[in-house]
Amino acid sequence: MVDRPITLLTLLTMTTFAESATSFISSRPDSEERGRAWSNFESIGLPTTTDEVWRYAPLAELDLDRFAVPATPTLAPASDFAIALGALAASVVRVVDGFLVDIGDPIDGVTVDLNPTSLTIAGDDPVERYASDAFALANAALCPATVVVTVAANTVVDGPIVIIHSANATASFPRTHLVLERGANATVVEYYEGGAGAIVVPVSEYRVADNASLRLVTYQRLDATTWHVARTTGLLERDGRLSQAVLGMGAHYDRSRNDADLRATGAQNELRTTFFGSGSQVHDFRTHQFHRAPRSRSTLLSKGAVADTARSVYTGLIEIEKGAKRTDARQTNHNLLLSPNAHADSVPNLDIRENDVVCAHASSVGPLNALQRWYLESRGVTRSDAERLMIQGFFLEMLDALPPALARLVEGDVALALQSVPVIA
Amino acid sequence: MTTLTISGLRVAVGGKEVLRGFDLTMHSGEVHVIMGPNGSGKSTLAHALSGHPAYEVLDGSVTIDGVELLSLSATDRERAGLFLAMQQPMEVPGVRLIDVLEAAGAERAGLHERMAWEVRRVDLRPELLERFVNVDLSGGERKRAEMVQFGILRPRFAVLDEIDSGLDVDALGAVARRLAASTDEWGCGVLAITHFRRLLHELTPSVIHVVSGGRVVATGGPELAEVLERDGYEPFRESAPL
Repeated sequence: MVDRPITLLTLLTMTTFAESATSFISSRPDSEERGRAWSNFESIGLPTTTDEVWRYAPLAELDLDRFAVPATPTLAPASDFAIALGALAASVVRVVDGFLVDIGDPIDGVTVDLNPTSLTIAGDDPVERYASDAFALANAALCPATVVVTVAANTVVDGPIVIIHSANATASFPRTHLVLERGANATVVEYYEGGAGAIVVPVSEYRVADNASLRLVTYQRLDATTWHVARTTGLLERDGRLSQAVLGMGAHYDRSRNDADLRATGAQNELRTTFFGSGSQVHDFRTHQFHRAPRSRSTLLSKGAVADTARSVYTGLIEIEKGAKRTDARQTNHNLLLSPNAHADSVPNLDIRENDVVCAHASSVGPLNALQRWYLESRGVTRSDAERLMIQGFFLEMLDALPPALARLVEGDVALALQSVPVIA
Repeated sequence: MTTLTISGLRVAVGGKEVLRGFDLTMHSGEVHVIMGPNGSGKSTLAHALSGHPAYEVLDGSVTIDGVELLSLSATDRERAGLFLAMQQPMEVPGVRLIDVLEAAGAERAGLHERMAWEVRRVDLRPELLERFVNVDLSGGERKRAEMVQFGILRPRFAVLDEIDSGLDVDALGAVARRLAASTDEWGCGVLAITHFRRLLHELTPSVIHVVSGGRVVATGGPELAEVLERDGYEPFRESAPL
């Protein structure tokens, strides 16, 4: 919990979250649709910990009235790290408090646009699509506009497109659509920073058309006080490939739901998630790989570590529809406990309605590989450095989609973040 | 001059005593070769010296200039000057060699350049340095990557466990030349373990130890290699008289 000194100014301007939300909604051209999403949000309300999928979220401490929906972005310089990241990108898109503030350098075949509506990437009504998800409904009501990055058919983008999300206001609801048209190929980095004492609720959707390929790295490096509730969905068409890495480093409560809808033959999804938790952080990762077509493939690797009194949850569902013959779906989850008071839960689930499939899952909660650690020690590395390198390695393995210079930059940032944690070994 | 002394070393693996009173003394700048048939305890010696968690030391002593190593952690044994080049170097996903060497105490300035030089000396492809430690490297490449670590860390004594297996003739020659050069460059003591005689053609040892049944059964000069060449290990079996 953050202690915020209550100044005379804030007393004078204090409003409830709901007041700031309705004021924001009434200022938008599509206020009717947003109002519908908002009233659905209000009627289902925030989840509670009696709901199994929210069991580990510290919802009792979540007081929305600490937050206010901003009418305009609060502009502030990005961090040195974000600037360095941008310097290595083919183009940098900047989003502040959910508002697009810079569309970046032009790239042939790539457009960056705003869609003022809250429609999903498939053109559906978000109130139906996210009917039971309070946070996604709030995003549908309160996102300033959808940032849409489109890579035209058969365009191969050299170098990554970096989307820098800065959270300066106390509440932000960014929404991003990445559209890879037929045969397109691109690498995108979504980076989140800031968010002190704030709530950040991103909704991202990715459409990977026939034979297109999207490599995506999401690096969440928000403040240790942030509530981060994110949801991503990949829609994969025939032979479309989505390779997604999600790195959760920051936030007080870090929830990341990553779904893939493998809706056509030959679609491929590789999802890798990793997190490091310290203090009283909670990392809550949820995945759903939905195989709806033959010869679709998914591999999921989740690796994370928790120290101090941090806790982590990994819940992954592989669902295979009848008729999705010769589907190959694999799920692996390794959790590392670095303190006796840290806790990790791992819940893999399978729902298979087709016989002609290969499906496997494995999960473990335990210490680091002792022989690998010994090998490093026998080179003269101390035990604590060996453990730090190996944990850092969880993150480094996630970065192979990036060009080496950019990967090294993120590696350096991960190493810096881990150095400030005194609990390893 | 620095002296490595192994005396009365007894080591068990999985409850079975494999080294049964192993003695060996060597000095800096020397090249010694330990030869023996499979199962004679050669690899156990290498692992026990560097503190592998699965090897239990029952008795004995290993010192460098009188400093007891067996009471030290694996880290401190290396820092005391003992380096092990492994028979099957382990993959460590997500960890880069340069970070390992830095954490091991290698001087940061010019490290990348020194690594590149060591890579060339053992005919490794330079791009392998960018990979995670030993990940996606062939057996022979891993052996040579161990030599890169060796060249950077510059130990007082290096124990090389079956460094010749998995290497073709050219690579073996490069590795042997690298090892031989180290005896001049910083007076490294080289203790090479092998069960192939071909290493002796590349690396000229001053002393050969024949191991059988978990202890040294014969020690001699290069002429011992000729006896092994002619008669094999059979005359050296533990109970057989020399």
